[in-house]
Amino acid sequence: METREQRPPNGPRGNGGAHGLGERLDKASQAAGQTWSRARDTYTDVRAAVDLPGRVDRHPYGTLAAALGIGYVLGGGLFTALTGRIVGLGLRVGLRLAVLPLIKDEISDLAEMLGQGDERAPGEATVTRDDAGERT
Amino acid sequence: MEMTHNIEDKARELRDRVKPQIEDAKRRLSSLNDSVTGYIKENPGKCVLGAVALGYLIGKIARR
Repeated sequence: METREQRPPNGPRGNGGAHGLGERLDKASQAAGQTWSRARDTYTDVRAAVDLPGRVDRHPYGTLAAALGIGYVLGGGLFTALTGRIVGLGLRVGLRLAVLPLIKDEISDLAEMLGQGDERAPGEATVTRDDAGERT
Repeated sequence: MEMTHNIEDKARELRDRVKPQIEDAKRRLSSLNDSVTGYIKENPGKCVLGAVALGYLIGKIARR
């Protein structure tokens, strides 16, 4: 029958075992330090890329609106009737705003043409038809 | 002619009465805007997180 004395639990016996454990602890500590350092660098990089204070400073309302939109999407509101209504309203308003300058141009052209018609010399004949359809 | 004068007078009177109120409202709105943007600039993280949370809630409610 084997006793505990005959079979050591883990690793070589004596001074060498303590040395191995120390090495392993050192390695683990180094790896943890490197991981921590890398995570800190990544956090700094992301923070610099996002630049939240600068962004908020430049466009406070825009940043808040973007955050609201991100929250709305995260909350699962993207494919809902409310989104459809908001998009529809936005499209309608956008189309109207896009068409408005065209209509304005058309109306100003029409007004210009009418103005030119009024300024025509009084002696200038205009072709009209009387009730019988004859030219006068 | 008399009527035109009357209308002009009325319009002028109305403008004089309404103009200070509009100016006051404009000043108040400008002051409100300044204080709101100031608060947002002082607490960017809090405001952005609050906006995300509010959007999340609205999204949840809209989903129902």
